[in-house]
Parts: sequence; structure tokens; C-alpha cells
Amino acid sequence: MKVNISGPGRRFLLSAALVFSMLLPPPAAGQEEVSSAIRRYRDREASTGFYEQYEVRPRRQQALVEIPGLRKGLMPYSPSAARVRVRTRLADSHQGLRFYRWLRCETCHPGQGKDIHTVRANLTCRQCHGTEPIASIKHYFSPMNPIRRHAYVCAKCHPGANASYAAYVVHEPNPARVATLETFPVLFYAFWIMIGIAGVTFVIFLPHTILWGLREVLEKKEKPNRE
Amino acid sequence: MNNLRIRRFTPLQRLFHFLLILSFLIQAATGLCRMYVETAWGQRLGRLFGGYDAALEVHKIVGILMIVGFIFHAAFMLMRVNWKHWKESLFGPDSIVPGTKDAAQFFQHLGWFLGMRRAPEFDRWGYWEKFDYWAVFWGMVIIGVTGLLLAYPIASSRLMPGWGLNVAFWIHRIEALLAIGHVFIIHFFIAHLRWRNFPMDRTMFEGSADLHAVHHERPLWIARLDADGRLGGLQVPEAVPIEKGIYYVFGLTAVAFGLYLLIGAIVNAPRITW
Ligand code: HEC
Ligand code: HEC
Ligand code: HEC
Repeated sequence: MKVNISGPGRRFLLSAALVFSMLLPPPAAGQEEVSSAIRRYRDREASTGFYEQYEVRPRRQQALVEIPGLRKGLMPYSPSAARVRVRTRLADSHQGLRFYRWLRCETCHPGQGKDIHTVRANLTCRQCHGTEPIASIKHYFSPMNPIRRHAYVCAKCHPGANASYAAYVVHEPNPARVATLETFPVLFYAFWIMIGIAGVTFVIFLPHTILWGLREVLEKKEKPNRE
Repeated sequence: MNNLRIRRFTPLQRLFHFLLILSFLIQAATGLCRMYVETAWGQRLGRLFGGYDAALEVHKIVGILMIVGFIFHAAFMLMRVNWKHWKESLFGPDSIVPGTKDAAQFFQHLGWFLGMRRAPEFDRWGYWEKFDYWAVFWGMVIIGVTGLLLAYPIASSRLMPGWGLNVAFWIHRIEALLAIGHVFIIHFFIAHLRWRNFPMDRTMFEGSADLHAVHHERPLWIARLDADGRLGGLQVPEAVPIEKGIYYVFGLTAVAFGLYLLIGAIVNAPRITW
């Protein structure tokens, strides 16, 4: 079929196209970025941002770290995260909790506010745990999941963080407590062995030194012309 | 009082002790200022070094210098051993290696404190000096290794799982507190504040000790030197007053700063999150 547009009809269509094109948004680089899931914010991250391709795969570290929950022996992947909890695999770990929105994190998690990041570096919980919803540590898509924690969380501030580095226990249990023997035995033993060494040193040498001091004062009284 | 003195330390040994004093005080201050950053005392201390973050840089640099110094010292000590006669050299009376005699003298000394036994006759090194030496020696190894792990956490977590950093941190911290307590209480007291040495024993700074006092405390050493005919060659005159003054000012300043750190740490201990 042949369509023959000529004269005023052609001129009308051309000007309509021109008007229509003015209604289109101008070309923008930002749109392109949003459309690419992988490259998004890549330039802002300390890591390469290519998580899927290779970053999540621990290389040399793999032999040294274990999969959480699989073994609770001397060397679990992250001693405190490996503990079994009721709500440990939720996309929103606070799902259904009443008054959650009006409370501060520390109200319900008093123990977690005592780590070096919070106490000394003044980090907020959300700088690591992210915005709502806060996924359970072990939820499959959680940024805190050990398979991607180093890249999604730690590498934001610690460039080059690897999977082994992310096994650092941020919310360190109190090393002196018997409960730590369960969750982080190496820390418990290291702590008490060191305290033992320090304790023995002081128990022997403090009284020794005090007695020595007293004795020399007495000696001086006995024979004032010591020189 | 005669002013005859006997040479006890070489200039190199004195230099190393001086460097150890300086670096130990800096490490104690920078370490404590970070540990106590929650308190006003810790923040004031940190300001001396340019703040919380700068203090860590100082701590790392001085720490690495200390490790280098320690390696030199260990090499030097190994060279000083007479390997042809290593048994006599390592376990003889001039050696800093402890033996059963030191344990016996420790108990005899305790007996003397309590007025039950005669004072032991020491040789060149008393048991407490040997203990001080080896406590620092192993302390350097423990603190140095854990410190290196903590200073390069990304690299060290390739060698061990990341939670090793939690462990290294506690070992580093407790060993440091032990070292601070031992040096600022026990070493200071024995070397400076006890009556025979009061207000300060200049031996380690001047390199020579008062012959009379040594004769009294370490008769075995003097007797050995006398028998070998080496005693005369080791006698040196006293330092000139200005030099002596410098030693006193430096030594007592170091003691005062150490006590300031010790008291601040004890007083503020309940105020920090451990
Ligand atoms: C109303 C009390 C409450 C408040 C407020 C609260 N939480 Fe929770 N949170 C809970 C409970 C209950 C659980 C599930 C039990 C558990 O794991 O201890 C939980 C679980 C979690 C978990 C998952 C733990 C796991 O084992 O996987 C994280 C992470 C968490 N909370 C972080 C936060 C952060 C960050 C905040 C502040 C923004 C916060 N919570 C505020 C009560 C609260
Ligand atoms: C430096 C990053 C970081 C910060 C800041 C942080 N967390 Fe965590 N959090 C973690 C990691 C990593 C885990 C996984 C277990 C671990 O390593 O201790 C975790 C685990 C948890 C858990 C699970 C229970 C546990 O102890 O393992 C809770 C609850 C929690 N965090 C709450 C908080 C709260 C509340 C705050 C703020 C006071 C906070 N977190 C700040 C990184 C952080
Ligand atoms: C928002 C930034 C931020 C994030 C995210 C973060 N950290 Fe940190 N981290 C810091 C800062 C700042 C310090 C320095 C604290 C100090 O000097 O007191 C630090 C210190 C550390 C230290 C040294 C602590 C010590 O014992 O002296 C370790 C180990 C560490 N972080 C591990 C982690 C791990 C593992 C993660 C991921 C779960 C993480 N960090 C996430 C900011 C962050």
C-alpha cells in the first residue's frame, strides 16, 4: 500500500514531531547508570563493585574460614554469629516487633553498643546494618551474610577487606565470661592465659618489692653510717 | 664517701636503654590515650600527640622502630656469646641467662627481707635484673607480633581468620598493661626509689656504679674481677656535675611521667568500656 503524504499534510506531521520531541526529556547520563545494576555506584565504592563476578569468592582465605553454623568447634567462622537464634534468617529481623519504630537500637540490644566501632569510632548501628529493613545476619540476601559481608559492609570503610577480614567479631563477647568459652573459646583462653601471666608476676613481685623497700629503710636505721 | 666508680655498661648498652625509655614512654602514652579515649584524661593525653588518630600513627611508627631496635639487640647479644665455649658463656656468672642459683637467691633475699637469713651475695646480675631483662625480651616479642598483626589487619587476615584480630588485640592489651605495671611500679621502685638507690640509680645512664655500693651488694662480682686482675681497669672517675645533673633530670622526668600514666590509668579504669 502506498501512502502519499504531501503538501500541508507533510508539513503538519513534521511540526508535530518537532513539538513532540520537545516534550521528551533531555538525554541524561544518570539514567544510563540506573539501568545498569552492576555498575551502579561503582565509582563510590572502595571495592570494584563487581561483587557477583569474583569478589565474594574468598580465594586463599577459604581454607581458613568455615561456613557459619556448620561447625561450632574451636574455629567457627564468626563465633557470635554462628549461635542459633529464633529470628536469625528473616529478611526483616524486626518483623512484627511492637514499638520497634519508637525505640533506639541500644534499648533492645544493650550488649551490641559496646564494641570498638561504636564506643571509639562513634559509628552508628546503621552504618553497618543498613536502613530498614534490617535483615538477620544469616538471611541469604543480607549484606551481613558472611559470603558478602566484607564487600557490602566492611569494604565501605576498610578498603581491600576480604572475607577473612570480615570474620573479625565486631560485637566481641566479654572475654572474661564463662559464656565466651562456648562462643569464642580461643579468645577466652588467650585472655585468661595472659591474665594468669600478669597475675603471677604481680603476686610475686609486688609483695617482694614492698618488703625489700621496708627492709632497706630498717637497715638504714640500724646503721646510719652505711657509706 | 669515696667517689670511685666501676664500669658496668658500655655506651652502646646505655644508648639502647635510653632509646628504650623514650620509645616505651611514647608507646605507653599513645596506647593509653587510645584505650582511655572515652575519658577526659585520655583525650588530654591524645592531644599531646595530635589527637586520637595521629596518636595511632605515632604508635605504629615508634612500634616498628622498637621492633627494628629489638632485632639489632638480639643480633648483638648473639654476637656477644662466645660460641666456642657456649656453655660457660651462656651459663657463666657474667651471663644474663637465669639459673637455679637465681631461684635460690630469690628465696634467700625474701628471707633477708623478713630478717630470717643473711643477705645473699649477688654476682654481676641479680635475679630481679635477669627477670626484668627477660620480661622485656619476651614482652617485645609478644607485643611486637600482635602489634604488627593489628597494624596491617588486611594483610594479617590473609594469614589467619579475621577473628584472630580480636585475640591479638586482647593479648596486645594485657601484655602492654603488664609491661606498664611492671616497669612503672616494680622496676622504678627497685632501681630508683628504694633506699639504697634513692632518689635515682644513675648506673644505667652514666655507665658506672658506685664501687662501694657494688662491693656491698655484689661482692661475688668484685671478687671475681679482683681475682682476674681486671678490677683496676674497670675503675672510672665520676661524671662531671653537669653530666650528672642531666642524668638526674632525664631519669626523674621519665619516672614522673611514668607515674602520671600509671595513676591516670588506675584512676580512670572504671570509666572506660573494656
Ligand atoms: C523493640 C526492640 C528492638 C529494637 C528497638 C531493635 N531491635 Fe534488633 N532485634 C530485636 C529482636 C527481638 C531481635 C531478634 C532476636 C535476636 O536475634 O536477638 C532483633 C534482631 C536484630 C538483628 C538480627 C540478629 C541476628 O541474629 O541475625 C539485627 C542485626 C538487629 N536486630 C539490629 C538492630 C538495629 C541496628 C537496631 C536499631 C536500628 C535494632 N536492632 C533495634 C529487637 C529490637
Ligand atoms: C562495624 C560494623 C557494625 C556496627 C557499627 C554495628 N554492628 Fe551489629 N553486627 C555487625 C556484624 C559484622 C555482626 C555479625 C556478628 C559479629 O561479627 O559480631 C553484627 C551482629 C549484630 C547482631 C546480632 C547478634 C550478635 O551480636 O552477633 C545485633 C543484634 C547487632 N549486630 C546489633 C547492632 C547494634 C544495636 C548496633 C549499634 C549499637 C550495631 N549492631 C552496630 C557489624 C556491626
Ligand atoms: C562506617 C565505617 C566502618 C565500617 C562499615 C566498618 N568499620 Fe571497622 N573501623 C572503622 C573505624 C573508623 C575504625 C577505627 C576505630 C578506632 O580507631 O578506634 C575501625 C576499626 C576496625 C578494626 C580495628 C579494631 C581494633 O581492634 O583496633 C577492625 C578489625 C575492623 N574495624 C573491622 C571491621 C569489619 C570486620 C567490618 C565489617 C563488618 C567493619 N570494620 C566495618 C570504620 C568502619
